[in-house]
Amino acid sequence: MRLLDMTITLLDGLTAVVGRMVSWLVLYMVVVTFANVVLRYMYGISNIAMIETVLYAFAVVMAATPGWTLQRNEHVRIDIFYGTQPPRTKAAIDLAGSLLLLFPVLWVIWSSAVPYVQRSWRLQETSSDVSGLPYVFALKGLILVFVMVLAVQGLAFALRNLRVLITGQGNTPAVPAGSGT
Amino acid sequence: MIHEYLEIGLFLTAVALMMFGFPVAFTLAGTALAFALLGQWFGIFQFRQLNFLPQRIFGIMSNDVLIAAPLFIYMGLMLEKSRVAEDLLLTMTRLFGGLRGGLALSVVLVGMLMAASTGIVGATVVTMGLIALPVMLRQGYDPRLATGVICASGTLGQIIPPSIVLVFLGDILTYANQQANLKSGSTGTSVGVGDLFAGSLVPGLLLVAAYALYVVVLAWLRPSTAPAMLDDPDAPAISSRERWAMFWSGLVAPGALVIAVLGSILGGIATPTEAAAVGAIGATLLAGIRVAPGRDRRLMLVGVVAAIALMVMNGFFNLLLLRDDFSPLETAMLWLSFALLASVTLGIALSLWHVLRLGVLTSVVQSTARICGMIFAILVGASLFSLTFRGLGGEETVHNLLASLPGGLTGAMFFVMALMFLMGFFLDFLEIVFILVPIVGPTLILLGADPVWLGVMIAVNLQTSFLTPPFGFALFFLRGVAPPTVTTQQIYAGIIPFVAIQVLMLGVIAAFPGLATGLPNLLFR
Repeated sequence: MRLLDMTITLLDGLTAVVGRMVSWLVLYMVVVTFANVVLRYMYGISNIAMIETVLYAFAVVMAATPGWTLQRNEHVRIDIFYGTQPPRTKAAIDLAGSLLLLFPVLWVIWSSAVPYVQRSWRLQETSSDVSGLPYVFALKGLILVFVMVLAVQGLAFALRNLRVLITGQGNTPAVPAGSGT
Repeated sequence: MIHEYLEIGLFLTAVALMMFGFPVAFTLAGTALAFALLGQWFGIFQFRQLNFLPQRIFGIMSNDVLIAAPLFIYMGLMLEKSRVAEDLLLTMTRLFGGLRGGLALSVVLVGMLMAASTGIVGATVVTMGLIALPVMLRQGYDPRLATGVICASGTLGQIIPPSIVLVFLGDILTYANQQANLKSGSTGTSVGVGDLFAGSLVPGLLLVAAYALYVVVLAWLRPSTAPAMLDDPDAPAISSRERWAMFWSGLVAPGALVIAVLGSILGGIATPTEAAAVGAIGATLLAGIRVAPGRDRRLMLVGVVAAIALMVMNGFFNLLLLRDDFSPLETAMLWLSFALLASVTLGIALSLWHVLRLGVLTSVVQSTARICGMIFAILVGASLFSLTFRGLGGEETVHNLLASLPGGLTGAMFFVMALMFLMGFFLDFLEIVFILVPIVGPTLILLGADPVWLGVMIAVNLQTSFLTPPFGFALFFLRGVAPPTVTTQQIYAGIIPFVAIQVLMLGVIAAFPGLATGLPNLLFR
């Protein structure tokens, strides 16, 4: 049980660190898009590469946060039935869902994305836009990041629910201390 | 045979499995996977077709229309977490509270303003539920009216632009419209997020008017349900100077921000993404001004004035760089503009520092990031779902079904609207937008539906999905913050008249499509 807890804590910590770091890109998106508005409308200067960095930042945020969202239980659920169940039933649903729905999906995305991304990396694929950023291969690589963050947190999520099933306790070491809001 | 109905089975199984409460995104994707395997087994689906999935996911990541969504979410969360939205509500209740039904009326108006600024249903309902509900109950309002008006007004964010739902809906309809044009071989008009924003403005305001009318009529017919506010003994006395300050910072400033953001989109000046960035920075400034101490606040106010001066200057002088025919006046103005810009930058930097110092900024960017993750997961799940659904022949099934209904477009539209309304009892807007609209959209447009009109109809319809028990998000949020004296039955009963207004409005827009299409035609076409 100690080992189980340590594993969960480790995976949770990893998820939260990645999530918190990546979330500052939201501020980057706000500031750079605003700066672009000022430069474009006031001074007629427009920089496609700069605008594209916002797109890249958004892609990173989208791909790297779903695990964190799962950890904080903020993925949309339909609560009519789930919300009224005792902790053990909830844990059973979540464990079954992870094993039967989440992990197979991750596996399929991973196995179809690996050749897709490999091709792009081999070609060092660049933007179709002449003045755009030449890192499309990196952007495509984010699909694998998406699978990885969900796999890491999915494992923690499954273990956490397994723990609830075994011990019958609803209180889980879900969120490590000091993770903010 | 059973395998001829696999696509219908997929749809029904996905909806049924979602009811267990496992996150929707993964349920959608996992169910699709199981049916892809079944299809392979029956020999009607090539599992290899799922190799298109990475291309689809990449398409989501490189879709620059969606960038507007996190910026609007940031803006809304900033206004909510820095309590600017709360001030707005307090000011309104002071202004209108003395009238019969006045508190309910101010909830409707604040709902409208917050809808236009944030568009986040949960935040609006919770804020109003925490602040306005206790006041209304204390003043003797019927709990049913009080809760109903809060839930309904809180969901106005769905329909009043700029709304996040409309961003997604617009993106999907753009694609559906292209497909319909391809199939019919016509070069029909294109439609974008901006069109949808313009199209939903009039219906949204009509909805506000309808809510307000209902409140006024009810207060007039049955004064006991919505009495005028007596002086609240708990409220501290305020001087008229403070009252003015409240009026400015609580009402005029957020109102101006909303008008600036919306006006620049509808005026065709800025793209939704650009306007969203301006709104996000504006919200940060408002938040900074609200929380900062005296000297810094003055510097920020100077920054706001400088920003306004810059906009005015930009209208009168040519400040475009990268040319060499500057007149002396233009050169002077250019340097002046740099000075003003420095002041604006200082104001923004100070605001950011102060909201960071109080932990608001961290909380806002983190929540925004997690919401992005949530949306991305649903988008990925929905694309796996739609890949499988199409692979199993679902598109033809839906097309044949809709085309075979009596009454052409009217019949098909009625069917789709009824289906969405029913689905709204159990699912919320994200799932319906991402599952149903891509499937039915192209067919409806082919049958002759105007894409903007279709989008507005869907948006008004989906707004009810927040309000219909047992799973209306708004009811849920309000239940979470309402005092225990308010029963769940009262909340359910209170929402009925507003859902009725909603359905009525749907009928009105169906009968008069010009309400939705008039403004975009006027502005953009």
